[in-house]
Amino acid sequence: MNDETANKPTLDRPATHAIDIANLQRGGERMDLAQEDIALKVENLRLWYGEKQALKGIDMDIPRTRVTAFIGPSGCGKSTLLRCFNRMNDLVDNVRIEGRILLDDRDIYDPALDVAELRRRVGMVFQKPNPFPKSIYENVAYGLRIQGINDRRILDEVVEKSLRRAALWDEVKDRLQDNALGLSGGQQQRLVIARAVAVEPEVLLLDEPASALDPISTLKIEELIYELKSNYTIVIVTHNMQQAARVSDYTAFMYMGELIEFGDTDGLFTNPKKKQTEDYITGRYG
Amino acid sequence: MSAFEPSLSYRRWRHLKDRLAKHGVAIGGVGVIVAITLIFFYLLLVVLPLFKPAEMEAGPSFSLTDAPQAIHYLTVDEYVEVGLAVDEAGRALFFSTADGHPLERIDIELPPGARVTALGKGDPAIEILALGLDNGQVVVVKPVYKISYPDDRRHITPTLEYPLGTDPIDLDEDGAPLRAVALQMGEEQATLAAVGESGQVFVANLAIEESFLGEGFSFEQENTVIEPDLDDIRYLLVSGPQTELYLANGDGNALLYDLRDPTEPELLQRLDLTPPGVRLTSLRFLTGSVSLMVGDSRGHIAQWFPVNERGRPRLVHVREFAEQDAAITDIAPEHGRRGFVAADAKGRLGVYYTTSERLLALAPVTDVPVAKVAVSPRADAALVLDAQGRLHVFRIHNEHPEISFKSLWGKVWYEGYSEPAHLWQSSAATTDFEPKFSLTPLALGTLKAAFYAMLVAVPLAIMGAIYTAYFMSPGLRRVVKPTIEIMEALPTVILGFLAGLWLAPYVEAHLPGIFASLLILPAGVLLFAYLWQRLPRTLRAHVPDGWEPLLLLPVLAALTALAMWLSYPMEELFFEGDMRNWLANDLGIPFDQRNAIVVGLAMGFAVIPTIFSITEDAIFQVPKHLTFGSLALGATPWQTLTRVVILTASPGIFSAVMIGLGRAVGETMIVLMATGNTPVMDWSPFQGMRTLSANIAVEMPESEVDSTHYRVLFLAALVLFLFTFAVNTAAEMVRQRLRKKYSSL
Ligand SMILES: Nc1ncnc2c1ncn2[C@@H]1O[C@H](COP(=O)(O)OP(=O)(O)O)[C@@H](O)[C@H]1O
Ligand SMILES: [Mg+2]
Repeated sequence: MNDETANKPTLDRPATHAIDIANLQRGGERMDLAQEDIALKVENLRLWYGEKQALKGIDMDIPRTRVTAFIGPSGCGKSTLLRCFNRMNDLVDNVRIEGRILLDDRDIYDPALDVAELRRRVGMVFQKPNPFPKSIYENVAYGLRIQGINDRRILDEVVEKSLRRAALWDEVKDRLQDNALGLSGGQQQRLVIARAVAVEPEVLLLDEPASALDPISTLKIEELIYELKSNYTIVIVTHNMQQAARVSDYTAFMYMGELIEFGDTDGLFTNPKKKQTEDYITGRYG
Repeated sequence: MSAFEPSLSYRRWRHLKDRLAKHGVAIGGVGVIVAITLIFFYLLLVVLPLFKPAEMEAGPSFSLTDAPQAIHYLTVDEYVEVGLAVDEAGRALFFSTADGHPLERIDIELPPGARVTALGKGDPAIEILALGLDNGQVVVVKPVYKISYPDDRRHITPTLEYPLGTDPIDLDEDGAPLRAVALQMGEEQATLAAVGESGQVFVANLAIEESFLGEGFSFEQENTVIEPDLDDIRYLLVSGPQTELYLANGDGNALLYDLRDPTEPELLQRLDLTPPGVRLTSLRFLTGSVSLMVGDSRGHIAQWFPVNERGRPRLVHVREFAEQDAAITDIAPEHGRRGFVAADAKGRLGVYYTTSERLLALAPVTDVPVAKVAVSPRADAALVLDAQGRLHVFRIHNEHPEISFKSLWGKVWYEGYSEPAHLWQSSAATTDFEPKFSLTPLALGTLKAAFYAMLVAVPLAIMGAIYTAYFMSPGLRRVVKPTIEIMEALPTVILGFLAGLWLAPYVEAHLPGIFASLLILPAGVLLFAYLWQRLPRTLRAHVPDGWEPLLLLPVLAALTALAMWLSYPMEELFFEGDMRNWLANDLGIPFDQRNAIVVGLAMGFAVIPTIFSITEDAIFQVPKHLTFGSLALGATPWQTLTRVVILTASPGIFSAVMIGLGRAVGETMIVLMATGNTPVMDWSPFQGMRTLSANIAVEMPESEVDSTHYRVLFLAALVLFLFTFAVNTAAEMVRQRLRKKYSSL
């Protein structure tokens, strides 16, 4: 509970690529939501798929430059809530949304808002790696090209920077023109993250980014999230509680379309306040 | 043992079913491949004889026992059983070609004491000869072979007829010997020409009149004398239409006279048929008596024929065969085709065809020079007289000399044309017609029809498919997609019928409207969409979400009606009241009613469902996670469509276009009925075309089995087969490659 450690949580992490779970876990460092700068504010959010209500009045604040994890049993609405942040739910037929979500105090459901621009600011990485059938280079440059940026110098620079951030540069720097579909699943997922960070979003939404990957790739992704959080507000959906415990600063537990408990990760896992949370964490359902 | 473990008999049964299915599928697959291979080889089998060389087979060789004096004329009958030799004394000896045994001997009725001094042959197709006499007169005779079948065996009785009567015809009224004579005979007139003792040329024009009663006839004769500026005239020929007279001497110097007014022959051209220093050794007409075949002392044979130049004929050098290396001693044209046989001083015989520029055979026939050669009417035998008076019979197997790679695909210079051209014309009313078998205009017609069809179909089908798969509401899509797919079941004969009988005249009458609609329709649709957007929300809410495109149907109908309604005023305003005439007269663009626009519309309509359906599937199957990935990066739907969806669907779109193209190339009924089937070499949208497939459909029923025409039609089928095979193989290869590229999606 002290401001200094809260502001530089990554400093005491050894700069090594060797995976050490113990090191990834937070030791003693306390997070406090009340102290945080809020990036996304959710106010009484309700969502229906046709007749069926999937979100039943969610209120929560997502802190800036922190990792927030959504956990909960399958079908509880984690992905739905995540998709509300970049309005990907708009693409679903018969969806109805009420309530507000404020990104930097601006309602993202304001009809006058440019959805494409919102999605540039709020990037998203899906469960299954989805690189385009283009070269590695073009995949990363895609977000810039659609903004009308075609200057080769800028593109080169951004592609390299993004791939470095996604810890993929060394693996692909000699074959940037190869088709991205030739990469392994873990590489593809990091490529997709590089593609997302290339447009410099403020928020990065990750929907079970490692669930389709092998354990080594999973650890690389987790490490990457750890690295990225100094620059980005990260929201990650995971069904894996260990993962949530390892990578997140804050955790939200959802159940049947409702937000049951939301707080700092250590507190939620070691000392859940609600019975449902405890049942879930201890494996009584899900 | 587990309760679920299958019994042994069941396992066997299951195994058997599996094996049966596997083999059944394998047999089916192999069967298809075998069938296609068999079709291919069958086509090849029919086509291959076209490219075979001729074969010459030596037959009997003999001397005539009752040898006439110097033989002037040599010929053989249709069945190659009876030969005829005419000698200086005017005796005609018919002999057996098996052994030279004399069959019939006829003394041609000549004035008493007269001797034959010159001999002229008529057109190769008509066996007829003119005997020039030493008294300045000419007698015309024709060998006739009467065929009867006593005891069911063919018996040939040769005789001679006198087509212009037995009375000799006066050419040189002074009665001096004739040195050379020429004859050309038609239904109503005949022309005789002869070189007189002192080098002047006598031309007699005979207007023949059949008498009303009986079989007799009479003619009126008109004589003219020319004093040509040419020494030592040895060759004298009157062309088939009796409008040109050619004179030549042994040096190859030649004169061309215009005989259109037979009383006043006019010198048109003076030329050298051989290069300096080369002797002219033989000069004959090809059948039809238009082309001159010029044999020279080097062994070359050149073809010349008159080309119309500002209304007057001018003799031009068309092609040359340089295959024999000894002086050409005689040339014998085939009777029914533009082929000929040439003999040389080394005793060799060459079999040639002019338009295909082929030397089909060249073989030695004697050890001594050949003096004369005759070809049988069916071009299946040659009768050769050598310098020592021996006769040799040769069988010639030469079924399809007209075809060569060049005559099929290259430009060929045909008689009567002013330049080489790609021509397809397989038959005509006249008998001396030469078939022209260039596949180039047909292949071009096929591509042209396919091109215009694709021009119509590809944009409409692909854009429609994109809209349906990517933008249309699911409810509407469920109606639209099957509707368009069912259009594919429409028999093309109905489309062709409508196109030919209704669309073609309609397009012709509304030409400006058709072009205007290219502009009016898209502009009108955009305008409507814009206005729709500006309508108040309450009004728009009456149309269920996603069904707005249906509103376009009345709009499109109205716009089309508007374009058609504007057609007449526009025609008045811009095209002097008639766009058709304006195109033809002001721009010089010929216009056919059944043209490529009509074909493009009709065949495009037929191809749209194919392309639409496959493209729609390809786009609809683009994984949603790619679309979402793009949208999540801040791309607009349009950017996502153009940069990700179409790219990912490209293998499918590509095969859709290729399959559509394959269909357009092979489509028969529409092009058959909606075009004039004129084999033109031209990409103009205002003209028709003749495609390979339509050509086969039109001509196959009328072609004689195993004829050259028949085999060329099979060749057209083979070309079509290879064409579709190549298109499909290319499509499949590209598709496989693209699929491999995107396989991990
Ligand atoms: N596109 C959709 N259409 C209809 N129902 C949906 C759709 N997506 C999700 N749902 C429903 O909404 C609920 C929440 O789903 P989701 O957000 O995917 O859950 P989670 O990500 O927590 O597993 C589930 O009951 C699911 O069936
Ligand atoms: Mg989910």
